[in-house]
Amino acid sequence: MNALQVEQVVKVYGDKRAVNQINLEVGRGEIYGLLGANGAGKTTTMRMVLGLIYPDEGNIRYNGKGYSKELNRLMGYLPEERGLYPKIKVSEQLVYLAQLRGMSKADADRSLKYWLDRFNVPEYYDKKIEELSKGNQQKMQFIAAVIHKPQIIIMDEAFSGLDPVNVELLKETVKEVRDEGASILFSTHRMEHVEELCQNITILHKSNTVLQGNLKEIKSQFPRESVMLGTDGEVTGLQQIAGVTKVDRLETGYKIGISDEQAAQEILRTAMQQRTVNRFEVVEPTLNQIFIKAVGERHE
Amino acid sequence: MSNMKTIVGFTFKNKVKTKSFIVTTIILILLVTAGINSFYVMSLFNKDEGGPAKAEVVAMVNDTEGVAPALQAYYKKQSDSKLSIQVNDGSGDPATDEAKLKQDLAAKKIAGYLVASEGKAGEFPKFIYKSSNIRVTGDSTTKSLETALGSVKTDFIVADSLTDAQKKQLSEPITMSLEQVAVSEGNAGTNQTEEQKIAANILVYVMLFLFFMTAYMTGNMIAAEVTAEKSSRIMEILITSVSPLSQMFGKVMGMFLVGLTQIAVFVAAVAVNVNLPHNVAVLKEAHIDMSQIDPMLLIYGLVFYILGYFLFAVLFAAVGSMVSRTEDLGQAIMPITLLSLASFYISMFSLATPNTMLVKVASFIPFTSPTSMILRLGLGEVAYWEVWLSIVLLLVAIFIFGWLSAKIYRTGVLMYGKRPSWKELRKAMKAYKI
Repeated sequence: MNALQVEQVVKVYGDKRAVNQINLEVGRGEIYGLLGANGAGKTTTMRMVLGLIYPDEGNIRYNGKGYSKELNRLMGYLPEERGLYPKIKVSEQLVYLAQLRGMSKADADRSLKYWLDRFNVPEYYDKKIEELSKGNQQKMQFIAAVIHKPQIIIMDEAFSGLDPVNVELLKETVKEVRDEGASILFSTHRMEHVEELCQNITILHKSNTVLQGNLKEIKSQFPRESVMLGTDGEVTGLQQIAGVTKVDRLETGYKIGISDEQAAQEILRTAMQQRTVNRFEVVEPTLNQIFIKAVGERHE
Repeated sequence: MSNMKTIVGFTFKNKVKTKSFIVTTIILILLVTAGINSFYVMSLFNKDEGGPAKAEVVAMVNDTEGVAPALQAYYKKQSDSKLSIQVNDGSGDPATDEAKLKQDLAAKKIAGYLVASEGKAGEFPKFIYKSSNIRVTGDSTTKSLETALGSVKTDFIVADSLTDAQKKQLSEPITMSLEQVAVSEGNAGTNQTEEQKIAANILVYVMLFLFFMTAYMTGNMIAAEVTAEKSSRIMEILITSVSPLSQMFGKVMGMFLVGLTQIAVFVAAVAVNVNLPHNVAVLKEAHIDMSQIDPMLLIYGLVFYILGYFLFAVLFAAVGSMVSRTEDLGQAIMPITLLSLASFYISMFSLATPNTMLVKVASFIPFTSPTSMILRLGLGEVAYWEVWLSIVLLLVAIFIFGWLSAKIYRTGVLMYGKRPSWKELRKAMKAYKI
């Protein structure tokens, strides 16, 4: 039984279907990617999971049970638009938020200190939020979502607005939380994060699910459409090979678009006849490409 | 329930710590202190005027009936008066006399002079008091002269036909004190002596003022906080942590404690100041005796304050929840502001006439009833059943508006962007299944 099950969920606002029959399941210790362009229905889905609004049709089950108030204690939420009390001390407001989620004051304080140490910023304990840099405010926001050791965490655009160092730091901690058994529903526009963190994904487009499943399986379904070729000099005749759609000259070789995977072997043969080949790879499509393809096709 | 306690505590603690609250409270204390001590300060100034150094001399022109010597004799008997009378040997020509006195006036030898009209012989003349410093409302000098002349007049008319004791009785002012009588049985307003009446007047005034100030201010703070939480987006975390209902009522309760704190500070400031030794005597002289306050009035006042506060507070919270940006808040709470102003002014303007139909009607309408009923209880005539009916109506209103506000709040906090119209709000409520 999975920690979070969303079954055939529909939400209608007026005459607009904001979410149309979504299904997804997040297991324990899993980060599930929920992707979609702006307005695709991600936030509505997340709000329904959080129990803020009720689905018009379908069910959402948490550890097999329906929604109840007690679940608030088991859930953590990192909203897309960040916000904490600007004029109140970090310690006061984070302990307060943890208390609202049912933690005792002493436990909340201990947990907060652990997380501040984890981010190497114990000195923020007595600082006001408005005194912190934007990146550090984000860290505090992250702590607010995990301080009460939730089992189900909803993260909307978890890494937006962070510098690469902090993205790495936060990514590590997200993995830690996952490894401790939390189920994380994760939405982002940054596909490389999804590729790194998620096993399963759902791509929403205009309220509908357009692509869903295991990330590796999805990728294998999409044809490999480019070849990276590294040689010690110029290779001629690539353009003439059947199935080659596009040839880009790079500093160290070529990036070749293909419509047929058979063409890749022909490219290799052609190159080896002329030059020494340092590198040859039939590249998997990136999630970025898949996303654009899945969403883009329906744009037309 | 423990969540509610956490919210109440958090709201209260953080509000009381803010600079604006501390500054407002200090200003309140200063105002109260200044107000109560002003009686004492004013009495100091009055004493200064009466000091011997500033003795005033009044001269007389055209004294055909021998009033001047009689006045002089009168003032000699009044050892505590600052006035004395200068008798001039008239030159026979009033114009010359007056010219000379004007010079004396300029030289500040005299404070003023009396000019007697040329009346019929044997009649007490009319007088004009002339001075360089005349106040229309009359000051202590003119009042004293009036009393003195009255006494002289009595002497002049009755001559020796009355004994001294009779004359003394005649000259004493009539004493009449006021007492309110409850006309019908079963009334909350009791028979009031004058002291009680003054105390009730002051108490009603203060309670109206406190009600308006604290309910309006804390109500505003509730709306501002809700909007701030919304605009800073911490609302999203809050509503996923606790139910909007306990959030809203936690906030309302927390602010209620803030308001009570403010009132407690006010009462403490009053109590300390009233009991300062130099103030006790002065206040007694002004017939202000706070021990004359009817405790029932205080209790009813507190009940109506609490009920009125909650009615306004839930509305403020609901409006706050509909606004996404703090800049839009002022406009949005305008209707409630007007409502609270109406409630305040209906009672304030009716302080002298607490039994009008307007006040009676207002005392049953939930939004105006807290202030109007305090007014009627303190100063007017009201039956117990009316008070209880008003309380029940208030409770019903709180229940209805609390329920409605909770619904609006639950919807409003999720809606961002422009302030929703009622139609949009209804639609959203339906969509959210609230």
